[in-house]
Amino acid sequence: MEQTVVAAVKGIVGAEHVFDRFEDRYCYTYDASAVTAGKEGMPALVAYPGSAAEVSALLKLANEYKFPVIPRGAGSNVSGGSIPCAGALVMVLTRLNKIVGIDRKNMVAEVEAGVITAEFQTEVEKLGLFYPPDPASKAFSTMGGNVAECAGGPRGAKYGVTRDYVLGLEVVLPTGEIIKTGARTMKCVAGYDLTRLMTGSEGTLGVVTKVIVKLLPLPEAKKTMLAIFDDMEKAAETVARVFMAGVIPTTLELLDNIYIRNIEAAVNVGLPVEAEAVLLIEVDGDKEVLDKQVGIIEGICREQGATVKVARDAKEADELWVARRAAFAAVSRVRPTIIGEDCTVPRDKIPEMVRIIRAIADKFDIIIAVLGHAGDGNLHATILTDERDRDEMARVEKAAEEIFRATLAMDGTLTGEHGIGLVKKKYLPLEVGEGGMMAMRAIKRALDPNNILNPELV
Amino acid sequence: MQWSDLEREVIRCIKCGACQSVCPVFRELGAESTVARGKVNLIRAVIRGDVDAAGAGFEERMSWCLMCKACQENCPSGVKLDQLILAARRKLAEDKGLPLLKKLIFRLGLRNRRLFDFGMRMGPMFQGLLLRPAPGGKGMLPRLPMGLDMRRLVSPVDARPFRSRVPARVDVAEPRKTVAFFTGCMINYIYPQIGEAVVEVLKRNGIAVIIPAGQHCCGTPVYVNGDVPTAVELARATVDTFAGLEADAVITACGSCGAALRKEYAALLAGEPGYAAKAAALAAKTKDFAEFLAEEGLTAEMQGLAATATYHDSCHLARSQGVRRQPRELIAGVPGLTFKELKAPARCCGAAGSFSLAHYELSRRINDHKVDDIAASGAELVVTGCPMCMMHIRDGMNQRGVAGEVLHTAELLARAYGVEK
Ligand SMILES: Cc1cc2nc3c(=O)[nH]c(=O)nc-3n(C[C@H](O)[C@H](O)[C@H](O)COP(=O)(O)OP(=O)(O)OC[C@H]3O[C@@H](n4cnc5c(N)ncnc54)[C@H](O)[C@@H]3O)c2cc1C
Ligand code: SF4
Ligand code: SF4
Repeated sequence: MEQTVVAAVKGIVGAEHVFDRFEDRYCYTYDASAVTAGKEGMPALVAYPGSAAEVSALLKLANEYKFPVIPRGAGSNVSGGSIPCAGALVMVLTRLNKIVGIDRKNMVAEVEAGVITAEFQTEVEKLGLFYPPDPASKAFSTMGGNVAECAGGPRGAKYGVTRDYVLGLEVVLPTGEIIKTGARTMKCVAGYDLTRLMTGSEGTLGVVTKVIVKLLPLPEAKKTMLAIFDDMEKAAETVARVFMAGVIPTTLELLDNIYIRNIEAAVNVGLPVEAEAVLLIEVDGDKEVLDKQVGIIEGICREQGATVKVARDAKEADELWVARRAAFAAVSRVRPTIIGEDCTVPRDKIPEMVRIIRAIADKFDIIIAVLGHAGDGNLHATILTDERDRDEMARVEKAAEEIFRATLAMDGTLTGEHGIGLVKKKYLPLEVGEGGMMAMRAIKRALDPNNILNPELV
Repeated sequence: MQWSDLEREVIRCIKCGACQSVCPVFRELGAESTVARGKVNLIRAVIRGDVDAAGAGFEERMSWCLMCKACQENCPSGVKLDQLILAARRKLAEDKGLPLLKKLIFRLGLRNRRLFDFGMRMGPMFQGLLLRPAPGGKGMLPRLPMGLDMRRLVSPVDARPFRSRVPARVDVAEPRKTVAFFTGCMINYIYPQIGEAVVEVLKRNGIAVIIPAGQHCCGTPVYVNGDVPTAVELARATVDTFAGLEADAVITACGSCGAALRKEYAALLAGEPGYAAKAAALAAKTKDFAEFLAEEGLTAEMQGLAATATYHDSCHLARSQGVRRQPRELIAGVPGLTFKELKAPARCCGAAGSFSLAHYELSRRINDHKVDDIAASGAELVVTGCPMCMMHIRDGMNQRGVAGEVLHTAELLARAYGVEK
């Protein structure tokens, strides 16, 4: 990057919010995915803008001097979405960290993009309100990053994903215009639905600077239980049965034995390490209906041969959740590199999908642990491997492709929540077809004629 | 240790970013290179040959760590971040050498206990040359830029070190137990009154105390700065002094000293013939003052104290040694005292020994959150189990004009027993 550009960037955001040292820039060559840009893909500069106006000025500069810009929140995405390319400007949005307002009467809130999701939830809950999207990374991922990835979470079975709560956005377009999409109202059909277009666009169509979300009343109570199975198939089958019985649990998380053992080693809360699979089930709502719901679910689980433990108090429930949140990283004890796929299939196909994943693991002689937001058909086939073992990595690649193809054959999707990113880019045409790719490229070209924002992703 | 040996540990970091929510340094500096994930990945980059370990940038980033272990406690993959940073610092010390002042203190001073003792005794005389009294008589400020930040308020070295004030053995009639007291430097030279309170409280509760005269520094300051050879020497000296004593337990009253005796010596002395077993025996015998007392139970009647107190968890006491519950139990047992928990009692106070000397400004910013918390709690007494934390929190409260006293758990108890202070 030319010195004049560096000086201009410093002029826009203030020199203290720009990093140009090698060691500092190096730390933006990775995110939580297994890919990194390495030394070859080093960003030229890292800037932390403090307002939408500064974001806009940076993007205008980028268009003038034609350098790529990579938006970044906490860098916790697992699809390689915030991996830069050589010469790029990494734009970190974490300085935009104000909760602009929580409107209790209308049950909406407005936050800046860099607000940490869990911190926002804490504030909202203090007022008796509820913001349901809860990616397991909520303690550190940002609202902007959640919107960009349309993040989901364990509560998705009942409450849906980020998209279902975003009413409007403030977005800086790739060319620098600051626009507002949607409205603060529950209904809005003015023009195209740009809010939905931006939500899940993985930082390729605009930089989100503000998010307006809808809130719900905080459920009065919840109950958490653990169903322990010695047969994986039975556990998987239980999922569809629960919904068929007319109960919609908040959460229905499936964990296999590899996960169970390693989580227990990491957090030690007394999970049954011998179990073949467990379902972590939570229901929420009015106190009066909870016991009835728990009763129905317990009955179904027992029919399927499970032992059921209902958490007695908030502390016990909390422990189960700590355990669940530690899951993804806890399995890194087995092999150092973990690749979390998030293929999603229709709910009734879960048993079949689990079978296929296990067969693929055997076929390629690799370890694949299974965790799933089973309530919404989202299975995290977690490949446990070692990035230093080239031979194994080649087999991992083949196994992943077979999993993707199997998912699509079952009317599923390549990603339920993690995004396509760099990691699954080459498989996207398999799902959306050439026509779909053409439409997406046309949108990208129209909004970003100079291909400035996250150019490698499309 | 070779860089390549670290690879196994380094690649266990799955780059999830969870450490971002707990790292106090990251909270202030915000750059990815300052959080645990960044530091681990810089080490990974050195292994790969992407980053030059000899560069000032790398060394500086390795220095931006309090060793508070918050990241480790929170890391789902269990990455041993402290071991990684220590290995990096050790390598840097070996390759590049320590800065002159540190070398002088560590190598010349600390390795020779008599010289160190002499230097510290002369301290009160000589410190006038190096330190000037701070305005308002609240401590001393450095006169020369000797590796200390010029604004760092330090407590003066006491004219009479603790170990020269007490006999080598404090007996009681029909002792319930006998303990050996590892005093550590801060208590011996700067806060002898903590040592006196420890002895007083134990004595009143029927515990005899041995205070071996030949004891020295625990080695933490040199260990965390990467000077492993000196740390090993100090560890050996401590093990030799305490191993053969006829005592039921070895007591520490400083979070860092305790962590060294209980955790770090095992690693430091693993390769020293004949020392591994002795270090393990010492580790098993060592207990923090509050932990020991809570287990033994207080037998002597207290007068009580009418005040509101809060408690700060020292990183090395709470996270390294797992002592959290016991001091709170002791405080709660003081008649008349109201206990108020801080919002985030286990958040690092920012002292971290020499860290606060090298990065004073940053350590102050970290400390500000602690002081805000203390002010919000409304407590008049801030109790903690580590003299280093005490010094730093006191400094912070002073600078921010927050009223209140900072006491060691032992001092609080001594006061509750009516010992004049
Ligand atoms: C342990 C762990 C658990 C996880 N659990 C879940 C889970 O349960 N559900 C789930 O859905 N995901 C999960 N994730 C993935 C990840 O946390 C989410 O994708 C999250 O939304 C990313 O947020 P971030 O702030 O870290 O964004 P980043 O990772 O920094 O960025 C993500 C993408 O968004 C873009 N971007 C970031 N901010 C903006 C912005 N303001 N405007 C425009 N584009 C932007 C980036 O360019 C990138 O493409 C998990 C990750 C980890 C490490
Ligand atoms: S929490 Fe642990 S695994 Fe996650 S990024 Fe930090 S050091 Fe790495
Ligand atoms: S030990 Fe503390 S300061 Fe050091 S990286 Fe971990 S959390 Fe940050």
